[in-house]
Amino acid sequence: MHENRVDLFGISVSFGNVCALDNVSLGFRDGEIQALVGENGAGKSTIMAVLFGLITDYQGEIVVNGKASAWRSPKDAIKSKIGMVHQHFMLQDSMTVLENIILCNEPLNYFGFVDFKTARHQVRSLLKEYKLSLDLDQLIEDLAVGQLQLVEILNLLYRNSTVLILDEPTAVLTPVERDQLFSALKRFKEDGKTVILITHKIDEVFSIADRVSVMRSGKLISSSTLAETNRDTVRSQIIGKARHKSSKRTKSQPTTPVLLLDEVIVPGLSRDERPLSVNVKKGEIVGIAGVSGNGQAALVEAVVGLRQTTSGAIFIKGKDVTRRSVEERRRIGMSYIPEDRQKTGLAISGDIIENSAISNIQDPYFSSGFFLRRQNMMSHAEKLITSFDIKVASPKHLAKTMSGGNKQKLVVARELSLKTPLIIVENPTWGVDIGASSFIHRQILSMRDAGHAILLVSSELDEILELSDRIFVMFEGQLSKELPISGATRAELGKLMLAKNSTSFGPVGEVL
Amino acid sequence: MRKLSIKRISLHATGWLISFLWVGLASAVLLFLADADFINSLHAFFKSAFGGRKFAYLLSTISRAALIIGMAMSALIAFRGGFFNIGGEGQLVVGGLASATAALYFGIMGPLGIIVACLTGMAAGAVWAVLAGAMRIWLGVPILVGTLLLNYPARFIASYFVNHPLRDIASGMPQTHLIDKSMWLPLIPGTRLDTGFILILGAFVLVLIYCHRTVAGYQARMTGYSINFAAAAGLPIHQISLRTLAISGSIAGLVGAIAVLGLHHRFVDGMLVQPLYAWTGIVTALLVNLLPWAIVPAGLFFAALHSGAAGMERIADVPKEIAVILQGIIILFVASSKTADIRQNGPAKEKSE
Repeated sequence: MHENRVDLFGISVSFGNVCALDNVSLGFRDGEIQALVGENGAGKSTIMAVLFGLITDYQGEIVVNGKASAWRSPKDAIKSKIGMVHQHFMLQDSMTVLENIILCNEPLNYFGFVDFKTARHQVRSLLKEYKLSLDLDQLIEDLAVGQLQLVEILNLLYRNSTVLILDEPTAVLTPVERDQLFSALKRFKEDGKTVILITHKIDEVFSIADRVSVMRSGKLISSSTLAETNRDTVRSQIIGKARHKSSKRTKSQPTTPVLLLDEVIVPGLSRDERPLSVNVKKGEIVGIAGVSGNGQAALVEAVVGLRQTTSGAIFIKGKDVTRRSVEERRRIGMSYIPEDRQKTGLAISGDIIENSAISNIQDPYFSSGFFLRRQNMMSHAEKLITSFDIKVASPKHLAKTMSGGNKQKLVVARELSLKTPLIIVENPTWGVDIGASSFIHRQILSMRDAGHAILLVSSELDEILELSDRIFVMFEGQLSKELPISGATRAELGKLMLAKNSTSFGPVGEVL
Repeated sequence: MRKLSIKRISLHATGWLISFLWVGLASAVLLFLADADFINSLHAFFKSAFGGRKFAYLLSTISRAALIIGMAMSALIAFRGGFFNIGGEGQLVVGGLASATAALYFGIMGPLGIIVACLTGMAAGAVWAVLAGAMRIWLGVPILVGTLLLNYPARFIASYFVNHPLRDIASGMPQTHLIDKSMWLPLIPGTRLDTGFILILGAFVLVLIYCHRTVAGYQARMTGYSINFAAAAGLPIHQISLRTLAISGSIAGLVGAIAVLGLHHRFVDGMLVQPLYAWTGIVTALLVNLLPWAIVPAGLFFAALHSGAAGMERIADVPKEIAVILQGIIILFVASSKTADIRQNGPAKEKSE
């Protein structure tokens, strides 16, 4: 009965000299949720790109419903009822939910116009069938992330996809949204669909999947049912070697504040525009936890100088920088590791040399007068590459040719090499594999031990708990009361992250 | 800066060769439709693009190419910074008019007069471009729209000046007086080619240095790659945008000055607009994917296409609009090869996992 719906036989893919996939064979059954786990660069997304027709230059065979198939583009894969929800959503912001769901597959009436009535009816019955709820007439731009994902999934269901591929679906979800997603996935499974879940998180695998396949450096390491394996086995299969011990911490010795936010109001951050106050002292890491989308990005932009504040004052090293530009704040002593390495952290179309020197090009080491000192730029890039063990053939390669983890390492390496008194760090390990992420954590901790003041904004609770000396939780544009690291537990933080009306959210984050 | 393997080069070469064959085929079809003698027209084309007595036609191709390359540099500098200055035409016209005015009325003669006229033209072009930058910063008008719309006032202001206050009434044409001979750009001895192209070559060297060796060029390029990146790195984006536009506009102004001092020796209404220097320059810069050194051969190519077509009309009675159509076909080929590239390799996105 349980025949494999999709089989991949001996798939190999190489990009230039790099072998991205090495003879990987995988089978996916009806009515089964299969998790595909592995570090960044392990080949999970690549094999899914092959299955979905995004990569057409491969060796091996795809068999769908017993028929050998070769896609020329995702269109062919979609025709064979394979659907994929990408990590970055592909929705039309200014169109409604309904329009997005039926996009490219619109039912037409006699006159060749879109028959929205039928469409609405069909989508409604889908929603009912899988016990989902969505307002079909809302605009995409007004939706929360969890709902966006639902729209993407409904788009697949509307096309009658029987194989659903989800790439890191929970990375952006709150715990509640995640539970909703998982119960929906279970209903798809009961309905006989094949669900493929690409993920980093082992907990998720064991709470929902039926089968788990582990990939590492382009190879399939194992594929087994949950009963046949356990967390520790999977974890060690992912990493390959023993995991780095959680970074050792020495007790911090905080002294004078390097960053001081005094009753700062960032416009549009919260409905009642409450002021925020935080300080970060020399030699400590202040962590701001919270589900992403609760105003952390705006707060960071205000601190860095990318966003205007309407009231209050910001001080760096005792200097009032409230009206100062990013450039001036950096000169006073700030560096910034942004969350989005694709657009903000790096110029991905530029080479690594160009990306390494951007923040301090005026430094006499990099330029004299009008002219660049290209030798020095080159050797600086080489230094960053060796000291952070960045995997790239040469500094002359373009930044976009590196994997996500290596890109992030380059951003972190560049900013930490500035050795500024204040370091603003925003989700430094987002979408980065375990090896790179523990490396980055160790670097951040050693900067703290060297006496730098670090503001860490992260939506990864483990990261906050591992690195911070003091913790705040941000919720709907407000900061909770301060939690010292000794007293903070996951449960308490988790409650604050999702609590409305919690008494912890006083009018001012911290009384100075 | 990717590694060039033999395979990659041959792949590129075949691609170009195939495009070239298609263009050849298209031109054959066009000539057939125009009812022309194919061999005769081809002969006329090459003769008028590169031949002539004492290579007179080749020299006029070079002279035209210099202006196109100048406008291509102007576009390229702005585009590389991510500022879509498509107002080269307006900056060119303003620059030409200003340098003619300086040469006619500043009362400085000889080589110094040439320098002053060139600098005035450059300043005028720069101001015109910076105006669009200021409109972007303080009024929120996109650079693309601002620069484009500023083309029209430039054209009509110039038209007004040469029709009224500055008009050489005795000539009966909408043009200024002839400028003093001491300020004509000298000719290359023994030819009718003026030294304007040397000024353009000089500017080209400076552009190469600017793009590859200077802090300003580096900062502008980074801003062009990603404005968010530049902002987060603390680059002064407004300053960079104004500076880049000023450089771009001043090059356009210089081209205007060269056309006035070297070619026409006065400002004639429409003399910089009709030959489509600015637009051909933009096409040239885009054709070579904003690669600085490559605008020289590309500019020569478009200039040759133009003078060859003029010759074809003269000798073989083939309408010169054929050349314009061909230019359009070439652009289509370039555009479609780029789309194919994107389709094969995917848009620039993170290749994680």
